[in-house]
Amino acid sequence: MDETFDISEETRDGVSIVRAAGEIDIATAPALRGELEASIGRRPDVVVVDLLGVTFMDSTALGVLVGALKGCREAGCSMRIVVSDARVLKVFEITGLTELFSIFSALDEAVQG
Amino acid sequence: MSDLVTLSIPVSADLLVLVRLTAATVASRAGFDVEEIEDLRLAVDELCISLVNEGGGGRLELEFIRDAGLIEVSCTHRATSGDSVVDAVSDPSLEGLSARILDALVDAHGRDNRGGYERAWLRKQRARQQA
Repeated sequence: MDETFDISEETRDGVSIVRAAGEIDIATAPALRGELEASIGRRPDVVVVDLLGVTFMDSTALGVLVGALKGCREAGCSMRIVVSDARVLKVFEITGLTELFSIFSALDEAVQG
Repeated sequence: MSDLVTLSIPVSADLLVLVRLTAATVASRAGFDVEEIEDLRLAVDELCISLVNEGGGGRLELEFIRDAGLIEVSCTHRATSGDSVVDAVSDPSLEGLSARILDALVDAHGRDNRGGYERAWLRKQRARQQA
């Protein structure tokens, strides 16, 4: 595993939380994709993608998140993203994906919806 | 005064961190502010992704040219085989996302083919004038 990236998952009140930290790029995005696919496969009501610890992300990371959103919709669950870093939020904004995703600035808010 | 920094790396996903580090260092030396440095890091990463996503081993050869607040980056993919060594997240829609990121972050960017090798390039001007 890349030393600049960590990924983990937990379930809280029926909400699956996938937590990524570090840099999500073409090297680490496949690990995020794998964790999200596993999470969605367990068919929770909600998947929260916690990106609070992410310091860099590129279009491969966005591609993984778009694919996960599609997977969530097919599985009948909803997906929420947590972002607070201005640099990370900027990537969503300049690609117009803030319109597509439900984005929260705090984890508790995202879990509660 | 013009500066040239070159970097040659094997096509390997986990080496793009070196490309981003080089981009940040060159931008810092050119007097770019923190936001511009982050913009250049991301833009150069996208430049490389656009080439390595197409597969093929070989090397990525990058040139960073700094000249009076202007940085030009050129990335040439010298492919040596048809086998991808990158576990890319292959999705045609990624190209659109990548292009939107580049459009937003740099002054100009493009692609060409030189001597049979695919090349992607970008140009970014520092916003702030140095005293």
